[in-house]
Amino acid sequence: MGEGAPARPLHPPAPAPRPGRGGGRPRRTGRAGGRGRPRLKGWLYLLPALAVYGGFAIYPALSTLYFSFLDWDGVQLPAWAGLENYTRVVSDPLLAGAIGNGLVLIVFFSLLPIAVGLLMTGLLTGRPRRGMTFYRTVFFLPQVLPLVAVGTTWRWLYSGDGAVNEFLGAVGLGGLTRTWLGDYDFALVALGLIGTWCMSGLCMVLFMSGAQKIDPALHEAAALDGAGRLRRFLSVTLPGLRREISIAGVITTIAALASFDLVFVTTNGGPAGQTNVPALLVYRLAFNEGDIGAASALAVVLTLLVIALVSLIRLLAREK
Amino acid sequence: MPPEEKTPSQESKPPRGRALRPAVLSALGSAAALTLTACAALPGGSGGPPQDNTPDEVSTDISGVSATLTLAYTDDPPSSELVEGFTDQYPDVSVELRQTPFTDYVKTITLSMSSDDAPDIAQYNPGAMRSLVPGGHILNLDPYAEAYGWEESFPSAALEPLQSDEEASEFATGSLYAAPGALSVLGVFYNTELLEEVGVEEPPATLDDFEDALARADEAGVAPLSVGGLEVGGFQIWNALLNSLGDHTEYKDWVYGAAGSSIETDAAAEATDTFSRWVDEGYVTEGANATSDDDARAEFVAGDSLFLVTGNWAAFELEAEMGDDAGFMLMPGRTADQAPVASGASVAYAVSSSTEHPDAAAAFLDWLSSAEAARIQLDTGFMPVDTQVPAEGRGLLDEVNAGFAEVADNDGIVPFPDYATPGMIDQLTPGVQGLISGSSTPEEFLASLQAEWEGHHG
Repeated sequence: MGEGAPARPLHPPAPAPRPGRGGGRPRRTGRAGGRGRPRLKGWLYLLPALAVYGGFAIYPALSTLYFSFLDWDGVQLPAWAGLENYTRVVSDPLLAGAIGNGLVLIVFFSLLPIAVGLLMTGLLTGRPRRGMTFYRTVFFLPQVLPLVAVGTTWRWLYSGDGAVNEFLGAVGLGGLTRTWLGDYDFALVALGLIGTWCMSGLCMVLFMSGAQKIDPALHEAAALDGAGRLRRFLSVTLPGLRREISIAGVITTIAALASFDLVFVTTNGGPAGQTNVPALLVYRLAFNEGDIGAASALAVVLTLLVIALVSLIRLLAREK
Repeated sequence: MPPEEKTPSQESKPPRGRALRPAVLSALGSAAALTLTACAALPGGSGGPPQDNTPDEVSTDISGVSATLTLAYTDDPPSSELVEGFTDQYPDVSVELRQTPFTDYVKTITLSMSSDDAPDIAQYNPGAMRSLVPGGHILNLDPYAEAYGWEESFPSAALEPLQSDEEASEFATGSLYAAPGALSVLGVFYNTELLEEVGVEEPPATLDDFEDALARADEAGVAPLSVGGLEVGGFQIWNALLNSLGDHTEYKDWVYGAAGSSIETDAAAEATDTFSRWVDEGYVTEGANATSDDDARAEFVAGDSLFLVTGNWAAFELEAEMGDDAGFMLMPGRTADQAPVASGASVAYAVSSSTEHPDAAAAFLDWLSSAEAARIQLDTGFMPVDTQVPAEGRGLLDEVNAGFAEVADNDGIVPFPDYATPGMIDQLTPGVQGLISGSSTPEEFLASLQAEWEGHHG
């Protein structure tokens, strides 16, 4: 990767078009680096990606930031509102509750799936067995399904006479049955477990591909030294998966905090606001109440929160 | 149509696959994607000083006028059927239809009606009008109402929600901005077979009788009510109770935003207490909070429950699925002879102030109150604007229409409560869920509605 160094100045700070893992691109720009004209030419190559990224990611993000300082309904002339939207958003108890719920969802969207993913990886790797592709596909399936379909299906599974309650009844836990998503105390947990179901497959697939890249010699050496399966998993597989775990953490944390569609189709924030999440409130402010300013301010706050948490995860998982 | 009925949409998918970047970049990228979702649908700022929106000269004679109008709408039926009926009668006028699904309708119509290429006619939506009317984009129909005599030809209760002041903050006052093309009414569907089974001879005539029927059903092991508490079904029961128990002028003032109004009244407290009592008695169960309106309707259709509180929009399906087993009545009052009051709404149409053919557009609105239009409105499952249309032996649909005519003739149609403010529905649904789960008291529920009201109108 040393060759990549001269290419650095070519990348503008924010909209760098995917640096990528491999060294392919940096090497090519590296060859041209250092002289005047080819540098400009380099920018020309960047232009299409830059235009798309700028137009569809940077510009809307900046617009949102701008809107968050306006008192605007989307049609009439906007008025400058200063920080008013932010004070409103921050002082609203609804929002605090929603952010709290988002943080609880991280447990279900992120921590549990990573744990499940690691467990599955530990069980399925090590020795090759028939039907691996089958397992992988089955576990990854929730990722492929549209979340709206997932949500609708789970609403039925969780309903009064749905499969979940039937199962509980069948194993003699009939006393526990309830309409899970309508239950004041359990709705958030029930919702979170849908997220666990969705995200576990993704984590597993990430970890499995990571585990396959670990040099088999390490496993063999550990086995020769008398390490059992658990020991090998903890000492060889787990450290080798640091990168993948951090990536899974980032993706799933974002999914937890930004969750919208799943909540929208299953509980829509109910019962009585018990499953409100920030993105749902952004949607309501913008499209039900026509308050673009407050919706944008809330979106900005949510974004900052996501950036903070994601940065923290990356920091924790950084390789020394 | 049910107030503000919503269908799921796919938004804010987490940005997968971006995560292979260095920490900050990946965070920024996902952040950008997040904010992108938040503003993808925002108008690009079509603001401007308010336009003049009052026509100078109006004519009710459109003979010899040949025009092509565009009509933007979301509800179909009845929109395309009504347009067809109109153009059959006025062949010189042709109408180009532009439909948008409800989930996108408010933002689409706000954008297009404030653009340079606005459709001539648009289906009225209170949320959108709150921006469009103050901007001067909607034609003030007062001159036409006077020229045609709409006060006479349309039920006044149906015109009220379409009248507003120039800021579109208070309704049932100021000028007329739309005309109703098909009406709806909230009531109670019952399962005749189950009614008999639990030992109730006649459909309940008073609220006490109704509660008695609920109790009998509960004892007999039949679910008394199907409640779509996840969506609008929960607060529609509360709404129907309030209609039956409350003073409807007081309620209308509150919904229309008359200064100093309050929902924290004795009548509203009684309606809320009644609802909470039904929860305590187990007539409404906590499972309702996870039941969508469709699920509730399906449960009723399957014969699993005695009553379903919803509107005429369900009549078609119930008639088709249940035939004579389904009946319709209004939520009964304290006494059997109490003047009936029920919530209703309309599919209404507004005219763009930049239309080149205001006379032709107004002629369409006027035609909506005709007997020909009434037939189409009935045929498409709505309540007719002209209530004098005779019944035709169509079972449940006739029953619904009879109930509606009774209310309309009494001037007893009142708006749905979510009309009060743009965010009211987000207080009503969770608020009633709180009552169902027992996590909030009737007082807290009413106070939260009033707080939302004060925030918007205060």
